[in-house]
Amino acid sequence: MDLGLDRLSNAIADMASLAQQSVLRAIEAYARSEKISSQALDNAKRLSVLGEEIEELAVELLARYQPVATDLRYIKSCLEISYGFNRFGRYAYDIAQVLEMAGDLSACDKSDIERLSHHVNSMIQDSIQSFKSKDEKLARTLRERDEEVDRTYQNVTKQLFQGRSTTVGCALASTLVLRYLERIADHACHIGDSVIYITTGKKI
Amino acid sequence: METLAPPTSEELAEAILKRPPRFEGTLDDMRGKLVVDKFSAGFGPKKVLEDLNIPIKDNTVTAIIGPSGCGKSTFIRCLNRMHEVTPGAWAMGLVLLDGENVYSPGTDPVKVRRRIGLVFQKPNPFPTMSVYDNVAAGLRLNGMRKEKEIGAKVQLNLNKAFLWEEVRDRLGDSGASLSGGQQQRLCIARALAVEPEVLLMDEPCSALDPVATAKIEELIIALKEEYTVVVVTHNMQQAARISDITGFLYYGRLIEYGPTRDIFENPRNELTERYISGKFG
Repeated sequence: MDLGLDRLSNAIADMASLAQQSVLRAIEAYARSEKISSQALDNAKRLSVLGEEIEELAVELLARYQPVATDLRYIKSCLEISYGFNRFGRYAYDIAQVLEMAGDLSACDKSDIERLSHHVNSMIQDSIQSFKSKDEKLARTLRERDEEVDRTYQNVTKQLFQGRSTTVGCALASTLVLRYLERIADHACHIGDSVIYITTGKKI
Repeated sequence: METLAPPTSEELAEAILKRPPRFEGTLDDMRGKLVVDKFSAGFGPKKVLEDLNIPIKDNTVTAIIGPSGCGKSTFIRCLNRMHEVTPGAWAMGLVLLDGENVYSPGTDPVKVRRRIGLVFQKPNPFPTMSVYDNVAAGLRLNGMRKEKEIGAKVQLNLNKAFLWEEVRDRLGDSGASLSGGQQQRLCIARALAVEPEVLLMDEPCSALDPVATAKIEELIIALKEEYTVVVVTHNMQQAARISDITGFLYYGRLIEYGPTRDIFENPRNELTERYISGKFG
């Protein structure tokens, strides 16, 4: 059982690292108008495969050892967390796709996206760190920080609706990328919730 | 990896200090069909159970888990005064059945045992009696004479024990000729025949194979519709499968008691967590 749990932790760590890299790379590439769709898709596929491996391993541990208490909560949470990382990969691909669809966005104002992506990156980092170190306190900060992400997303989208001077292409691309970042932040929160569940047994 | 060592006496002391002094779980009904209050028991100079406070709710399955020697079997035998038949055994405190202390001086232990039946670890049908007579014996002892009534009761209780269909054509065979699982269900039918209100089961599946175990577990869950069931088991998965409430007993003390889901998903006591996770026991 302990060996199985170690394998599960290692697989989650691999997934966390790849998911974080995928999002970072997608945001950087968007800022530099660099097309990386196929690389992002490869990462998303690898994350999906890793997610399936984690699911297999978790089900095997459940079937063979009937874990209880912290072990049970940990395995259940690993399933949820791996889904979160899977989504990170998918949203990174979606961000890369925006550039493919929109064409040249070098003239667009990307300051809102840069600001929000910085915030979201730190949330991803801390969600992973809180899981690695079972840091309930750090996990609890994520929900508050997500409110800031939601506020920024809503404000910028509202301004774009109200006709902030920009092109349709820039407005649409900004809205999509901000939306993906907002969803990534939500998944970081879910990871934090799982950490709280593992450490305290309380569901958020 | 954590070492597979039992807790030290300091850890035990700490765990006991942390435990709620009395039951304070989330059960809405604290009164219970059976209430164990400030109860201690033992043999001669040895104290086996210490200051137990446990409300056992009606129409539920309550599982008592704990490692070997923790006092599980002594506890269950105290509930229907079977404990005292062992020389040197003693008990202090209250066991209230519907508010009446089963240990009060005027109470007849035989009557207590009729109201609180006990099924043992090893199936023990009367070996010289037929399947039919095993169930009928208790009825006859209680003064039932009309064979038609006895026959109806035998059928009813074999049915309740999920055994009727399997033995209807062999009621005259010896009880000992049945398989282990069938013998255990015959013992349950025998216990049910005298119409108890509470059914105690001491490791009822430990001598059975997985298929027979599954049948008994299904039966236990069905029985709570009519009876209050208390099961002692060292099989934690079994407790998790069949019980509504679980109590963890350790060195004769109740360490944790509460809804089974909570005990197995989020135990409050570190010692419970370590025991149910197989870290000692």
